Amino acid sequence: MRRGRDRLSDPSRPPYRRLYRKIRDAMLRFLVRRSLGAMVIILLISAITFFLFFAVPSEPAQLACGKNCDPDAIRIINHNLGLDDPVPVQYWHYLVGIFAGRDFDIGHCSAPCLGYSFRNDQPVWETILDRYPTTLSLAVGGTVVFLVVGVSIGMIAAARRGTFADKFLSSLSLVGNSMQIYFVGTIALWLLVDSWGVLDRPEYVPVTQDPVGWFSGMLLPWLVLSIIFIANYSRMTRSLMIEQLDEDHVRTARAKGMSHRTVFFRYAWRGAIAPIVTLVGIDMGSLFGGAMVTEFTFTLHGLGRLAVDSVTQKDLPMLMGVMLFSCTAIVIANIIVDALYAVIDPRVRLA
Amino acid sequence: MTSSRRHRTRLGAVALAAGALVLSACSSGGGGGSDDGPERTTDKNRASNYSLGTAADSTGPAAPVPGAKKGGTINVLQRDAFDHLDPAQIYYSDALTVQLLYNRSLTTYKVGANGRVTVVGDLATDTGKSSDGGRTWTYTLKDGLKFEDGSPITSADVRQSVERLYASFANDGPQYIPQWLSGDGQSFRKALPDGPYKGKHLPKSVLDTPDEKTIVFHFKAPHADTPYAVAMPNIGAVPAAPGKDTQQRYDSHPVSSGPYKIGTLKPGKSLTLVRNDQWDPKTDAVRHQYPDRYDISFGVQEPDSSRRLLADRGSDRQGMSFSNAVTLETGPSVLKDASTKSRTFNEIQPYVDYMAINMDRIKDKKVRQALAYAMPNGQILGQFGGARAGQVAGNLLAPSAAGWKDTDPFGKKKFPAGDTDTARKLLKEAGKEGQEIVYAYPNTTEYQNVSVVVTKALRKAGFTVQKKEIDSNNYATEISKVDNTFDIYRASWGADWPVASTVVPPLFDSRVLSDGSQNYWHLRNTAVDRDIDRINKITDVKQASAEWVTLADRILTEDVPAVPIFYNRLWSIWGSGIGGVKYHSVYGSADPSDAYVK
Amino acid sequence: MKSSSQTADPPGGADPIDGAAPAEAGSLAGRSPGQLMWRRFRRDRTGMVSACVVIVFFLLALLAPLISRLYGKDPYTTYGLDRPGLLNEFFYPVKPNGGIDGEFWFGVEPQLGRDVFTQLLYGIRTSLLIATAVTVLCLITGVVVGVTAGYLGGRTDYLLSRFIDLLLAFPAQLSFVAFTPVVYALFVSPEKETPTALRVITLITVMWALGWMGLARLLRGQVLSLREREFIEAAKVTGASPWRIIRKELLPNLWTPILVQSTLMLPTFVTTEAGLSFLGVGIVEPTPDWGRMFATGARHYQNDITYMFFPGIAMVIFVVAFNLLGDSVRDAFDPKTKR
Repeated sequence: MRRGRDRLSDPSRPPYRRLYRKIRDAMLRFLVRRSLGAMVIILLISAITFFLFFAVPSEPAQLACGKNCDPDAIRIINHNLGLDDPVPVQYWHYLVGIFAGRDFDIGHCSAPCLGYSFRNDQPVWETILDRYPTTLSLAVGGTVVFLVVGVSIGMIAAARRGTFADKFLSSLSLVGNSMQIYFVGTIALWLLVDSWGVLDRPEYVPVTQDPVGWFSGMLLPWLVLSIIFIANYSRMTRSLMIEQLDEDHVRTARAKGMSHRTVFFRYAWRGAIAPIVTLVGIDMGSLFGGAMVTEFTFTLHGLGRLAVDSVTQKDLPMLMGVMLFSCTAIVIANIIVDALYAVIDPRVRLA
Repeated sequence: MTSSRRHRTRLGAVALAAGALVLSACSSGGGGGSDDGPERTTDKNRASNYSLGTAADSTGPAAPVPGAKKGGTINVLQRDAFDHLDPAQIYYSDALTVQLLYNRSLTTYKVGANGRVTVVGDLATDTGKSSDGGRTWTYTLKDGLKFEDGSPITSADVRQSVERLYASFANDGPQYIPQWLSGDGQSFRKALPDGPYKGKHLPKSVLDTPDEKTIVFHFKAPHADTPYAVAMPNIGAVPAAPGKDTQQRYDSHPVSSGPYKIGTLKPGKSLTLVRNDQWDPKTDAVRHQYPDRYDISFGVQEPDSSRRLLADRGSDRQGMSFSNAVTLETGPSVLKDASTKSRTFNEIQPYVDYMAINMDRIKDKKVRQALAYAMPNGQILGQFGGARAGQVAGNLLAPSAAGWKDTDPFGKKKFPAGDTDTARKLLKEAGKEGQEIVYAYPNTTEYQNVSVVVTKALRKAGFTVQKKEIDSNNYATEISKVDNTFDIYRASWGADWPVASTVVPPLFDSRVLSDGSQNYWHLRNTAVDRDIDRINKITDVKQASAEWVTLADRILTEDVPAVPIFYNRLWSIWGSGIGGVKYHSVYGSADPSDAYVK
Repeated sequence: MKSSSQTADPPGGADPIDGAAPAEAGSLAGRSPGQLMWRRFRRDRTGMVSACVVIVFFLLALLAPLISRLYGKDPYTTYGLDRPGLLNEFFYPVKPNGGIDGEFWFGVEPQLGRDVFTQLLYGIRTSLLIATAVTVLCLITGVVVGVTAGYLGGRTDYLLSRFIDLLLAFPAQLSFVAFTPVVYALFVSPEKETPTALRVITLITVMWALGWMGLARLLRGQVLSLREREFIEAAKVTGASPWRIIRKELLPNLWTPILVQSTLMLPTFVTTEAGLSFLGVGIVEPTPDWGRMFATGARHYQNDITYMFFPGIAMVIFVVAFNLLGDSVRDAFDPKTKR
């Protein structure tokens, strides 16, 4: 079974070309099916969220009305926002707006229309797009750091199983795993920024504008964010590698006289990669939805902050938008992970 | 919304007594106790510092700022996005400040470095000529005024700025002028229900533009304070040419008449102002055009802005903030570093924080007095940063009010934790020990802390306290409902200019009481109403001012509608790379008109 | 989440030894699996130490009123405001290191001047109460749903599984933040003070609603595989009622994952609750709360970093101890997974 895989993954041999095409078709079918499933999930989540939010007695028109506001004005605003319709009708309009755009009193809101903020009349979609680079930078950079550091630690620990280094790294990652961003982040700010001045105060500068500033501004959040993830990855890598090193084919490779290094990186590591990819996918998915505590600790203005702000400001359209966006991010991440999993490890059937 | 946020208090409405600004000199010194506080003698916000300017004062160009040079970018850090850019809708101190850069009104305030404030003509050649016993006011426009597109500013554009206030969308800004012209409350809108947008205009007998340069206001009653009312940003110039005034959408790109114009606006995030090359410095007695641009970013919380400006690194070296204050989180560090002193000011603002007492529910005066004695003013102020965030208030008027007296009937300055013994005694006399008090507060960090000290002090004095947390966004609306179910709640008010006529009538006249009015305490005292009418008729401003102060003190001691808590201060800091930042005492903010990049 | 991969294998691998034990093998050694586990656990020194630490935390929480009485302070009195000399002009502690001295062991709180030690004690009490309640609720829900789905199978299983999938698709932290005010609004009365209990119940409800699915899914899988086993078949053949089968045959085999999961859940809920308070949607003043102490600490870190260390270090110790305890419990139940 395992040995077959090596040949299988070589599409240059004619008999396997057909198989390769078959796999590709399977992949396509898989993607279509999963996307449909994802749509259903997103639809359900949006419906639940929508109804929950609008079940709460609140007066959103009041927020939009301004200071010299009278009941008439509120009625007009309610009408303009469509808030005088029954909730299911409002939900239907909302859905239609996402796919076909929608006309509001303030103007037309084009295709991915998530409505306008109750607070400042800004289009939700554009606000999300505007905040997204921060969240994306945080998620991608953080992932790179925790992946590189976590996997390296895990591999070192696996390679020196049982030594002092192994134990030290294991306990280190255990403590890291127990850290909280709101604690470590603040201490790190105090030490590295305020007291020693080693790092810049975290802020988001668009990478296109100033790559160096972007890097130095995001470095501390990346480091702190990754602390709590590193432990998971190092532990997982370590146990996967140990498991793989005990597998027959790896032992065989070693018995055949292959160098320790080759065995370690070519055979064992390949076996360990798939579960790690899964975990990365899940973690990145949730990070794409906004790392609220990190953004709060370092006063970054990404999606997480936007979500919390819209909660405290009762800005339902904005909150709906962020919620939908993060759900979509998570669901898409899951699909990609599953697809990747199949690519990495063809034993997994795309069923 | 408004009053739950510090430094965003809405400026007061309804003003009267005019030339008011030549007032009895009153040193605002005073203030209680501790010598750790900021140097009070330097307070610029004193009534004695205000005056009306002459035509010469109104003539441009403004005197050059020593050491100033052209070029560079000033980065402005603001907590909240400006809720409006349309001058018709602006009423908050932060937006009032930014509009100084792109919007010109008929008159404006010339703020001297020494704190002297002179009202001068801005678009107009002077502060206005009155006739018909103060009912008619005539303004003449200066020569060479242009919009950002190069078209000349005429009296039709000024008329446009006034008439659009009648349209239903214009509901956030001050409304004196339309009310004086066409009727009180919201009734003025009936005079021109669609604004100027359907081709109709106000009759010449109300608002006249006899030629391209002249505007004549015919008010229903004498209004000697017109020079101040037309300094509000909504009495300026909005292009009357077809298609230029986009009504609601004007909010995202008002047409500039000042030295800067809107560059890019990313709502909720940032605003860039760039040079307006059509602005002619020779027409402007107040503004300069030193920096190339202003980059204003929103969402920078106060602890952050002060931390960044204190650190003085990178682009923050050219940073400032109009209304963000140095908070208690950074305060100690600011003081520690002696070099920062030259780039900060700490000035008293026109805003007063009150603890309103709902007189519909707390009918027993003794109970209200007990509340007033028990209130722990000093401890409340402490939650905002102590003496540098404000000073404990003894009475209802800010020290900048003309004729202000440093009275303190409830011993607020002597007892920072409240005079528990007196309160307990009063409560006992009233036979209301254990009186239940429903205390409403907004759910922000600071006010949650405040709720802790208030509850504690009231319980000590023998009250039973029911705390009621209210979503900070709805707070202002909730407490200004006449039938609200709370007993005490924080309210705030700031005068539009330093005369108590902009404070006492809107706050204490029973006839204004309605949902959303500022009679938060539901004071219904016909004697007070009569006095308001009487003082309104006094033509001698000095005498009127003194009467307002007396009346305010009498209301406090006899009706006890509220407990004055503290007078707000603004502690501002800016980067070492800029100069010319000064305090705008009318708006209570940092004024960028003279600012330059070093 | 992460434990699912680690605990997923026991039924397959370890069962011949452990799983069969309750039914038949008990008589061999004369020891129940519980006793076996306990013996193994007692030999694990790390496990014992961390168990002690965890117990100490719970004791501190339980005995907070007693301790604070002995110590002579309470978490509500604003000592710093009432007594001059404790707080400076900005209302920060006058003494260095957050105002630590013989009287205030952990210093005084900035701004309000309350005693940090009792604040922390009572804060831990609040947080542990909430986290324990959520854990218990999640355990019950997880077991009920998981066993039902796994045992009944078929359409019920399908529906329950899809429901679990749906709930798992909610972004957890965001949903906690978003739905807390929603649930809260359902409880609030327009006038009068909202009792702290309502807030606590709100937090518990929200965390519970989105916290039980992991366990349910895990248990479903286990029950699914157990269902096909001979001893269950045997019980069925002898005519045992489903209830009896679940109680006597299934549940004893599920203790391992349940216990391991609960040692993982509890610290997670403690930190989640703290996170909510940190973000400003948790417990409000004046009720002491562990998480809100972080918010206070983060706000004042430049002037009083000491304050941050007390809740912070306490939480790190607590979570480390709990994680180690979880590992030890798993090892004790499942000697095979031991490295």
